[in-house]
Amino acid sequence: MGWLRWMRRWIGWRGSLIPSPSPGGGREPEPLSPRERGGGEGAARALAITLATFMSAPVQAADTLYLYNWNNYISDATVTRFEAECGCQVVRDYYSDNEEMLAKLAAGASGYDLVVPTGYAVEALLRSKQLRPIDTARLGNFRNLKPEFLGAFFDPGNRYSVPYAYTITLLGYNSRKLEELGLPTDTWALIFEPKYLEKLKGRVTVLDSQRELIGAAMKYLGYSVNDSDERKWKQARDLILRAKPYWAAFNASSYIKELTLGNIWVAHGYSNDMFQANADAVKARRGFNIAASIPKEGAVLALDSMVLHKTGRHPELALRFINFMLRGENSAELTNLIGSGNPNRAATSHIRPDIAADPAIFPDRAALGRLEMLRDLDRRSRRVLNRVWTEIKLR
Amino acid sequence: MRGTLFETDKFPPPPLCKRGEKGTRWAITAPPTLFLLAFFLAPALIVVLASFQYPGEFGGLAPLLDAGDGREHGLTLENYQFFFSDFLFTEILLRSFLVAAASTLICLLLAYPVAWLIAKSPRQHRDFLVLLVILPFASNFLIRVYAWMIILGPQAALARLLNGVLGAFGLEPVSLLFSPFAVLVGMVYVHLPFMILPLYTNLEKHDPVLLDAAQDLGANAWQRFWRVTWPLSLPGVFSGSALVFIPVLGMFAIPDILGGTRDMLIGNLIKDQFLGVRDWPFGATLSIVLTLCVLSLAGLAAWAGRRRRGEQ
Repeated sequence: MGWLRWMRRWIGWRGSLIPSPSPGGGREPEPLSPRERGGGEGAARALAITLATFMSAPVQAADTLYLYNWNNYISDATVTRFEAECGCQVVRDYYSDNEEMLAKLAAGASGYDLVVPTGYAVEALLRSKQLRPIDTARLGNFRNLKPEFLGAFFDPGNRYSVPYAYTITLLGYNSRKLEELGLPTDTWALIFEPKYLEKLKGRVTVLDSQRELIGAAMKYLGYSVNDSDERKWKQARDLILRAKPYWAAFNASSYIKELTLGNIWVAHGYSNDMFQANADAVKARRGFNIAASIPKEGAVLALDSMVLHKTGRHPELALRFINFMLRGENSAELTNLIGSGNPNRAATSHIRPDIAADPAIFPDRAALGRLEMLRDLDRRSRRVLNRVWTEIKLR
Repeated sequence: MRGTLFETDKFPPPPLCKRGEKGTRWAITAPPTLFLLAFFLAPALIVVLASFQYPGEFGGLAPLLDAGDGREHGLTLENYQFFFSDFLFTEILLRSFLVAAASTLICLLLAYPVAWLIAKSPRQHRDFLVLLVILPFASNFLIRVYAWMIILGPQAALARLLNGVLGAFGLEPVSLLFSPFAVLVGMVYVHLPFMILPLYTNLEKHDPVLLDAAQDLGANAWQRFWRVTWPLSLPGVFSGSALVFIPVLGMFAIPDILGGTRDMLIGNLIKDQFLGVRDWPFGATLSIVLTLCVLSLAGLAAWAGRRRRGEQ
C-alpha cells in the first residue's frame, strides 16, 4: 500500500507547511525516535530542505548531494555529520515502495545522485541501464562489509551496488499471549495450520503483498520463493485459502499499531516494523513485548543497496557519502534507530547490545543460509501469479 | 415526473445568434473545452490504447513500434482475453456493483430525511445546517476513515457492547473491523454528503402550495409524500445516486483500510495492477471494462427515463 504511505506523507507535509522553515539550512537535529518508514515528519523536513535548496540553489548547487531513500532510512544525526564533514548539503527525497521509486525514475525524474533500492529493483535499474558503475577500490571502508552480503544475484561483482542495510520478512508476535496459548513461534505453521490458528482466530494479519505472502507459503511447503511453477503456486494458494478464514486482514501498514494495541497477536511483516512495534509497546507500558522470529523453514531477505543513478551530477560526492556510510559508527546509527539488519562488520561494536543479540535482526549463519532474496518475475509469470493472487483475495 | 439527471433535451436549443455573439461564445467556451480535451479525453484515449498494448519488461508499456531488439511490441487483444479467461475478474466486478448499489441505497435512506428536515427548517438556519453537512470535508478523508478503525476496533465501546450482548446469549464474539460491514459503513459515511446535498437543493425548491392542495383534495400524509414530494424529488434522487454510486464503484482506499480478507473490489484490483504488480495494460483493460459498464448503465437509465416520459 505504497500509495497510503504516500498519502499519509502528504498529509504530514500539508500539516507542517505553516511553521515556515528557515531558509539556508540551520536546522536542529530532532530527538531521534523509532518511527516506521512511512513517517510524516521526514517529508516535511524534505520539503523544508528542498525549499531551502531552491532558494540558495545558485550558490550551493555544486556541493549538494541528492539522496533518494526510503522513508526514515537514515538517522538525521548521520546526515548532519556528513554535511559538516564535507562542507556540503544533503537534499533528501523519499519513497515508501520500490515500485513507487521505479515508476518515478521511469517517468523521467532525474538528478538523484544516490538511490537505495532493494535487490530486485537494483536489477531492474541495472538492466534498464540507469546505473553508474562504482569503483569499489576507491572506497576505503568497503572492506568493512560482511562477505555474505556481497556478490548478491543482482550484481555479482558489486560493480554497481554497495550494501546498505537489510530487513527480513518474518513473524512478529505478542510474546505474553503466545506463551499463554503455548504455541510455537519458530515456524510458518503458526499462520498456515488450522490446528494453531484455531486459538488465534481473528488475531492474525498477513502482508498484503503477492510475492511476500505466497513466498512465505512456498517456504512452508519447502520450495524456493523464486520458484515460478504454477502447480506449486496453486499448492501455496490452497494452503493460504485453508488458513484465510482465521486471519483478520491482509495488511501492509497498520499491523504495527494493531500489535502494539494488543488487537493482533501474530503478524507476518518486516523485522524493522516488529522492532518498532516492540519499542512502542514498551514505551506505552503495555505489559507485553512484541517479539520476532525467523521461521525455521526460511524467509525472505530484502537487501537494500546504495547505487549511483546515471542522471546524478555529483558522483564524486556520492562516492564520498558511500564511504562515509560504510564507517561502522555511521552504519550502526541506522540500526539503533529503526532496528534494520546491518551488513557492516565494523558497525557491530557500535550497535546497542540488545539489538546486536537479537537473532531476528542478526540471524546466525545457519538461519542466514535459509533466507532468500526475491527476484523479479518475467511478465508472463507475473500475470499467472496475479490470477492466483486475485483468487486468494476473492475466495 | 419533470426530468432526470440524464435528461439533456429539457432545454430548447438556443436561438441562432448574431455574429458578434458567436465570437464571444467561443471565447468563453474554448478554455474549458480545451481543458477537457487535453486532460480528460486525451488521457482516456491513452488508457484505451494502453489496454491493447503489451506490458513492459520492468513495468510500464511495451513499445508500439519495433525497437529492433526482438522485444514484444505493437497491439494485442491478450489483455481482454485474460479478463475473460477466468470468471474471477467478472465476479469481482459484480461484487463491486453490489457493494455500490447497497451503499447508494443506504445513503438514500439515510439522506432523504436529513435533506427533508433541512429543507423544512426555518430559512435562517438552513445555511448553517448545510455547512454542518459539508463540515467533514474540512479534514482529510483518509483521516476520517482511520478514525473508523478506532471506532470499530475490538477494544472500542461499540464492539465491546455488541460482543457483551452476544456473549449474554451465548454467541461467538464478532469482529466489526476488517469486515464487509466495516467497508459498507466507511462507504456510506464518506459519501453521505454527496447524497444529502442534491436532495436538499431539490427539496428546498418544492412549492408548499402543492402539498396544501393535495391535503385539500383529501390526501393523507403518506399519499402527499408518495404522490407529490417523491416524484418531484426524483431528479435529486438520481443525481445523488450517481454521485454516490460511481465513486463507490471505483473506491479502493476504504476496502484497503477497513476491509478484511475477502473484501477486494474492482478498485483494489485496478490499483494493484499499477502500484503492485506492474501490469499497466491489464489495469487499463479493467478500467475500460468498468467504464463501459457504468456508461451502459447510465445509458439504460436515460433510455428508461425517456420511455417512461413518452408513455405519460
